[in-house]
Amino acid sequence: MRDEEEPAKTLIRVEGVGKTYQRGRERLQVLKDLSLNIREGAYEALMGPSGSGKSTLLNLIAGLDNPSEGRVLVDGTDLGAMGEGKRAAWRAANVGFIFQTYNLMPVLTALENVELPLLLTKLGKSERKRRAQTALKVVGLEDRASHRPDQLSGGQQQRVAIARAIVTDPKILPIVTDPRIVVADEPTGDLDRQSADEILELLEKLNTDFGKTILMVTHDPAAADRAQVIHQLDKGALASQAAPS
Amino acid sequence: MIPVSYNVRSLTVRRATTLATGLGIALVVFVLASSQMLARGIERTMGLSGSVDKVIVMRKGADAEMSSAIETRFVNLVLAGPGIKRGGDGQPLGVGEVQLVVALERADAPDDREAAQVSNVQLRGVPDNVMAVRPQVRITQGRPAKPGTDEVIIGRRIAGEFKGLALGQSFELKKNRRGQVVGIFEAGGSSFESEVWADIETVRSSFGREGIVSSITAQLEGATRFDAFKGAIESDKQLNVQVLRERDYFEKQSENTADLVRYLGIGIVFFFSIGAMIGAMITMYGAVSARQREIGTLRALGFSRTTILSSFLLEAILLATLGGAIGALASIGMGLVEVSMMNMQTWSEIVFSFEPSPPILIGAVVTGGVMGLVGGFLPALRAARTSPVDAMRA
Amino acid sequence: MSLARIAIKNVGRNRFRASLTVLGVMVAMVAFVLLRTILSAWTMGAEHAAQDRVATRHKVTFLMSLPKRYVQDISTADGVQAVTWCNWFGARLPDRDDVFFANIATDPESFLRVYDEIELPPAQREAWLQNRRGAIVGAQLARQMGWKAGDRVTLAGTIFPGDWEFTIEGVYSTKRRSIDQSTFWFHWDYLNDNADLPETMRDQVGWIVSKVDSAGRAAGIAKRIDGVFDSRDIQTLSMSERAMNTSFLGMLGALLQAVDVVSVVILVIMMLILGNTIAMSVRERTNEYGVLRAIGFRPPHIAGFVLGESAAIGLCGGVLGVLLARPMINQGVGRFMEENFTGLFPYFRLEDSDALLALGVAVVASALAGAIPAYNAGKLDVIDALRRVG
Repeated sequence: MRDEEEPAKTLIRVEGVGKTYQRGRERLQVLKDLSLNIREGAYEALMGPSGSGKSTLLNLIAGLDNPSEGRVLVDGTDLGAMGEGKRAAWRAANVGFIFQTYNLMPVLTALENVELPLLLTKLGKSERKRRAQTALKVVGLEDRASHRPDQLSGGQQQRVAIARAIVTDPKILPIVTDPRIVVADEPTGDLDRQSADEILELLEKLNTDFGKTILMVTHDPAAADRAQVIHQLDKGALASQAAPS
Repeated sequence: MIPVSYNVRSLTVRRATTLATGLGIALVVFVLASSQMLARGIERTMGLSGSVDKVIVMRKGADAEMSSAIETRFVNLVLAGPGIKRGGDGQPLGVGEVQLVVALERADAPDDREAAQVSNVQLRGVPDNVMAVRPQVRITQGRPAKPGTDEVIIGRRIAGEFKGLALGQSFELKKNRRGQVVGIFEAGGSSFESEVWADIETVRSSFGREGIVSSITAQLEGATRFDAFKGAIESDKQLNVQVLRERDYFEKQSENTADLVRYLGIGIVFFFSIGAMIGAMITMYGAVSARQREIGTLRALGFSRTTILSSFLLEAILLATLGGAIGALASIGMGLVEVSMMNMQTWSEIVFSFEPSPPILIGAVVTGGVMGLVGGFLPALRAARTSPVDAMRA
Repeated sequence: MSLARIAIKNVGRNRFRASLTVLGVMVAMVAFVLLRTILSAWTMGAEHAAQDRVATRHKVTFLMSLPKRYVQDISTADGVQAVTWCNWFGARLPDRDDVFFANIATDPESFLRVYDEIELPPAQREAWLQNRRGAIVGAQLARQMGWKAGDRVTLAGTIFPGDWEFTIEGVYSTKRRSIDQSTFWFHWDYLNDNADLPETMRDQVGWIVSKVDSAGRAAGIAKRIDGVFDSRDIQTLSMSERAMNTSFLGMLGALLQAVDVVSVVILVIMMLILGNTIAMSVRERTNEYGVLRAIGFRPPHIAGFVLGESAAIGLCGGVLGVLLARPMINQGVGRFMEENFTGLFPYFRLEDSDALLALGVAVVASALAGAIPAYNAGKLDVIDALRRVG
C-alpha cells in the first residue's frame, strides 16, 4: 500500500516526443509533440484506435526505441542518450515486458522461462532458481514449474510472462536495481474474460503490493477501468487524460 | 495445374534458402562435370595421338613403348610388310623410334637439392621422315631441328614447365651433351604435345640404345589392311613382335589414368549428391510447412492431391536444375585449365585439359534435376497429404 | 540452465529438420574423412620411407641401368654401412591381366642387411639364400594371391622376354612401414646369368640402395656418391628414400591437389546445408529473438544462441560421421585399397588423430556456417522482430 503522506515523485517524463518512420519514400509520423508524466507507482492505461501510436509510445518508454524528437526520461535518465548496449542493460534491470501473445520460449519450462532474465545478472545458479520459483509463486503457478508453454493455458502462459517480468524485482528479493516499470502491450488481448480478469488482478497486485509502475496498452475497456489514469491517443497525439469513469 | 509462376515466386521470396540449396547442388554438379571432363580430356589426348589407320609394332610381351626393344635391322623388314603405304619417293611411310623417359626438374622447383621436384618427361628419338608419318605435328615457334644434331623440338604443353624446356634453352642428355631446344610444336591436342623430340641417333648414342628402336609406327594403305599386316608380321617368329592399331595402343595407355579419374569422380559425387539431396529435402520441407495455409486453401478450392504433389515436385526440380545449370556453366570454365599429371602407364607427365562435351554437361544438369526430384519427393508428398481443415487451422 | 543449454534445446525444436541436417553433416563428414584419408594414405608412404637409406639411379632416366661395378664404388664411400642393388623386372602373371604386383631382382644377402626391417623366419631365410630360383613375397601379396612357401610360380617377362620359373621360399612381414608387403623379390643372379640376356644388359643394375650410418647425414652422403661418379661416363642421381618418395608424390601433385580441393568443396556443401537450416530457424524465431532483446539480451547473446545451435548440430553430425567413417575405412574401403592398390596405398587407415581433427573441422565449419544467420539475427531491429509473428 502506498503511503498517502509521501508525495509520489514523477518517474517517467515524456517531453515533446515525436516519432517518424521512414517507409521507403513515405514518411510516417506516428507521434507528434507528445508530453506525458507518470508518477512512480502509478497504474495507467494507453488507449486509442489502431495506428494512434500507443504501442510506439510504450516502446519508447520501455527503451526499445529512440524518439525522433524530444526526450524520454525515466528517473532522470535520458533513454535516447544511451547507446544500444547500455539501453539493453537498462531494460534488463528496470523494465518487465508483458506481451499480448505471451512470447514465452517454447523449448523452455515455465521455471526456465522465468529464470531467463536472471541469466543476464551475476547471480549464481541456485540463487537464480530460488528467485524464479518465488516469482512463479507470486503468480500462483509454482505447481506448473516444469511445464512447457504448450502444456499451459493462455492465462497460465501470461502469468508465466508476468513472473518473468518481475523476477529481477528488488521487492521480491533484494537486488540492487530500483525502480521497476512493467509495460504491458495488450496483456489480455488473446484471453477469455475469466483469464483476462485473473491477469488484471495480478497486475493490480503488482501495483499495490509491490509498488510497480504499470503502463498498459489495451483495447479492453474492462482492463482500462482498473487503471488510475487512462490516456487516450489519437493520430499520434494525446486526446484526453482522465481517470476511468 | 497450378501456374509455374507460383513456384518461381516462392523460390524468389525465400531467396537465401533457394541460393544455399541451389549452390549446394551446383557444387555437386560442378565436381561431377569436371571429373568427367578430365577423364574425357585424358582419353581424347591419348586417343588423338593414335589413328585407326596406323599400326604400332612392339616387342612381344611389352606393354608400353618404354619397355619394348626391337633390333634396328628388323625395322625395314617390318616396314616391308603388306599394306604399308608408300610416300612420294616410294619409301614406306613408317618410322622406328626410340622412346625414353628423362628426369627433369620442374620449372618452379627450388634449387635445394633434397626438395628437388624431379619429374619424368617422355623423350622420343625420331628419324628424319617423322613429319611424313605424323602429319598432325606442326612447328609453331622456332624451327625444325637439323637432322644429325643435338637440336630438339618440344611439345607446346610442356614448354616452360620444366627447367631447360623453353625456346633457346637446353637440358642435359648426358654428361657434356645437351639437347638444344630450337622449336615448339603442336600436335592437335594429342599427348605428343607433352613430349620432347630429338634426333634418333642423338638419343641412341646418349643413352646406349645403339642398334635398337623401341617401336615402329607405320601408315597403312587403309584401316582395313590391319589384319593382313598383323597376320604377316606376327607370324614371323624371328621378329618376335606384336602389332596393335595405334589408336588402340594409346587408348590403352590412358585407360588406367582415365578410369581412376572417372571412378574417383563418380564415387565422390555419389557421396556429395546424398548431401545435396538432403539439403534440397530440408529446403522443400521448409517450403511446404511455410505454405501450409496456402496448400490448405488450394485444397479447399478443389485442387487435387496430384496437382499439389506435382507443383511441389516441379518447384524442387526447378530449383535443382537451376543449381545444376550454374554448376555445369562453371565447369565449362575448367576447360581453360590444364593439369599436368603422371600417366600411370608410363610414369611420365602428360598435360591434360578438361574437355567439355554436350553429353557431359547435359548429363550433369539432368543429374542435378534428379537430385531435386529425389530430395523433393517426400516433402511434396507431405504437401499433397495436407488436410485442408487442419491446414487452415494451423 | 545456461545460455548454452538454450541453444542446445533449440536444436530439438524442429526435430525432423535437425535430424535431416545432422544426417547431411554426417554424410559430408564421411566423404570428407574419406578424402582426407586418401590424401594422408598417399603421403604416408613418403613419411614412413626410410631416411637412413640412399637410393642411387641413372641421372637422366630411370629406364637406364648402372654398371654393376658402381656397387663396389659406393660401398667404400664414407658413412655407407651396407649396399644392395635391384633391377625392376616388370613381369606379369601369364593370363592374369587383372593382377599387378612389383617384382624386383636383388641380391638377397645384402638386401636383407640393407632392409633390416624385413622379418622372415630363419628357415625360410636360409632357403631363399640357397635357392637361386627362390623368391620371397610380402604377406599382403601372399594373402591376395593365395601363395605360401614352397609354391611354384611362373612369370612372363615384359622387359626381359621369356617365361621365368620361381619357387616361393618365404613370406615376409615388416617391422616398420618403410617398405610395402606386396613385392616379389628374387635373386639378381638368376636374371643376370640367363643365357638369353643381351650382352648390353648383363652386369647392369637398375638402382643401388645404401644404408647409411645416420639419417641426418643421408643428404650429404647422397651428394658425395654422385660426386664419385661425376667424372664417369654414366652419372648418378642419389637421394634418400624419403626424398625419392616425396619427389614421386610431386608427380601426382595435380591429382592430390584435386582431391584436396574437392575435400574443401564437400565442407562448403555441408556448410550450405547447415547454414540453410539455421537461417530457416532464425526466420521462424525472429519474434522470440525480439523478446529476448526486449528483456535485455544483447546482439552478441542472440548471435551466440544461433552459433551454439549451429555448432551443436555440426558436432552431432561430425561425431556420427567419424563413427561411421572409422569402421568403413578401417574395415572396408581401407582393406580393399590395401589389397588392391598396394603400390599406391600400402597403409590406408584412419588414424585417431585425423578423426579428432575432422571433428574439429566439423565444429569450426558449422560455426562458420551459422555466422551469417547469427549476424543477421543479432542485428534484427527489436521492434520489427517483436511485430513479426511466428
